[in-house]
Amino acid sequence: MDPSATSPVPIGLPEAKELLAEVHAEPTLVNITRVARQLAPHRQRLAGVSLRLACLASFTFDPIQPALELQGLRSGLALETYLGPFGQVEQELIDPSSGLATFKPGAVLLGVRLQDVCPAIYDAFNTLAPGRSEQLIDDWMHRLRSALLAFRQRSGAHVLVQNYDVPAFPALGIADRAASTSQASTIARANDALYALAASMENVHVMDYDGLVARHGRASWQDPRTAFFARIPVAPSHYWHIAGFYVHHLRPFYGLAKKVLVLDADNTLWGGVVGDAGVEGIALGQDYPGNAYVAFQQRILDLYHRGITLCLASKNEPATVEEVFRQRPEMVLQSEHFATMRINWDPKPDNLRRIAADLNLGLDSFVFMDDSAVECALVRTALPEVLTVALPPDPADYPRVIESLNCFDQWTISDEDRQRGKFYKAEAVRSGLKASAVDMPMFYRGLGMRMTVYVDHVPHLARAAQMTNRTNQFNMHTIRCSEDDVSRFMEAEDHRVITLALEDRFGDNGVVGLAVVRSGRDAWVLHMFLMSCRVLGRTVEQAFVGWIADQAAAAGAQRLAAEFAPTPKNKPFAVFYEDRGFVHAPAKGETQRWVWDLAGAETSPPDWLEIKVH
Amino acid sequence: MDNAEKFRSIIGTILGIPEDQVTDDLAPETVDTWDSLNHINLISALEQGFGVRLATENLADSQSIPELKALLAKDGIVV
Repeated sequence: MDPSATSPVPIGLPEAKELLAEVHAEPTLVNITRVARQLAPHRQRLAGVSLRLACLASFTFDPIQPALELQGLRSGLALETYLGPFGQVEQELIDPSSGLATFKPGAVLLGVRLQDVCPAIYDAFNTLAPGRSEQLIDDWMHRLRSALLAFRQRSGAHVLVQNYDVPAFPALGIADRAASTSQASTIARANDALYALAASMENVHVMDYDGLVARHGRASWQDPRTAFFARIPVAPSHYWHIAGFYVHHLRPFYGLAKKVLVLDADNTLWGGVVGDAGVEGIALGQDYPGNAYVAFQQRILDLYHRGITLCLASKNEPATVEEVFRQRPEMVLQSEHFATMRINWDPKPDNLRRIAADLNLGLDSFVFMDDSAVECALVRTALPEVLTVALPPDPADYPRVIESLNCFDQWTISDEDRQRGKFYKAEAVRSGLKASAVDMPMFYRGLGMRMTVYVDHVPHLARAAQMTNRTNQFNMHTIRCSEDDVSRFMEAEDHRVITLALEDRFGDNGVVGLAVVRSGRDAWVLHMFLMSCRVLGRTVEQAFVGWIADQAAAAGAQRLAAEFAPTPKNKPFAVFYEDRGFVHAPAKGETQRWVWDLAGAETSPPDWLEIKVH
Repeated sequence: MDNAEKFRSIIGTILGIPEDQVTDDLAPETVDTWDSLNHINLISALEQGFGVRLATENLADSQSIPELKALLAKDGIVV
């Protein structure tokens, strides 16, 4: 019956993006249903990452499923969803022959409402005996923990649990928060217990559902008729929002978070065109509209401190823009916050391409923001992989654009993230050196690079896991790991987790390389090998693998074996083995296998690299 | 799109059937996609499409095309 399923013309990516943008602009049930049906047969082709996603809920989840699939596509995830039977969350997790167990999910969403598992806390709070609500919560936490532990024995899937929402109208009215028996505080404590439970388990994460409900308005989050009649605790007008919320928590696990924000300047960072209005004439300051631009810049600075790389692409004279930075004290963003600035009259797509090349980052990790609909359309057409955000007409709405742009979110923020801006700034100085050097060895020597290698270094756990999730280009296997996964490798007798930090005379680059090695008697095997693209092209990867080979040889191994699983993104890795002297071994399906004979292998580092062992 | 077309388009999209099959004799007994959950979706989609809150006494009622039309008529919408 479905005309689109038999459509002879497959839907292309630009067309699919247009349909998704239509739904996003007007996420009615009809639009969601129509487009979900249209795109369903093409999902695998339209998204870079496929994910088997299980949804277990204490409420009716079915109406959210089409929205979930579409939100997945918007983020580059082809979701194959499994909905557990209504209200059987614990059974599904525990039973080794459950539908969930058979489905073998990559990730599990646990949509369990405290209203459903501890109804008395919501429906009859004022009648509960003292201490009773704590008992009910303890009991539920105990059950949840047991169920999750049982599941964890069989599956390493990411588990995402939603936290518990406070009612729009707490049981004791205006007295509630101050009361010793406060319903809102009781639920807040249940949330604390949930976060503690998740922290004590492997790869279990909490999503702030309470925050989601609050953002959209507690009183209108539900439609009481569908809530009572069909146990759907979300009004149809919010299906799109809850689906987006779930996907936004999944995205960081699959390397789909954005990393770079490229900003226009005129009418974006300040009001007016500086070339016409002059440095003193642009809107920036305490009063509207200048204060909206200041607030917008503050939100962008927040992103900078979370590790998002900022760049400027402006059609202006460079000297004019520099004057704004120097002469307008209201500027929150300083030139040092920008990894690179391209201020010229070239088309913006060209500038974006050059920025991507300078930073060694894929354009699919870029967000472009501009007030001009024309520039946005141009970038959208020329570079569909970039997420282009057109700013709204009124600057008062600008800060909200950043706040609601959740594509940059990561589950953890590491020290590297907080300092990334400085790393890139130093990189720009290095590039200057490169331009003045006569040849490459002279450039490398001028850098004064010092590598430090760490073996099974526990303080690097978070950064190591993060690199597996962020690195797409110089990555042999693109295996994504949680901190627990890395920790297991560290503890394993026959595995070593080797991290690499790099310093040079321009500054500290932080932890930029990771190898997981399995040591055998005759051969060592590179199980994972990746480098941050920030330091590629400086012979560090060559020195790193050479150092590992030396360790293998010293332990009596004759060979270093490695693999390469090509993806559309890790082409920079493809030539690496051959350059080092590895030879092809019989491939395993799509995965190439390589072996380095350590007798006579050239493993010593270039003379410009000093290696220290921590 | 007039109201009658909009009505057929909404019902057809939610139930996954061509719009020209949305006739008065369409009923849960004749379309397998018209189950209780999709009935809720029908009501919600009509409310969103026509910008009204339908005066249902019981969401489970009105499971026929003439009854849905009658619900809309209470809000002055003739389809």
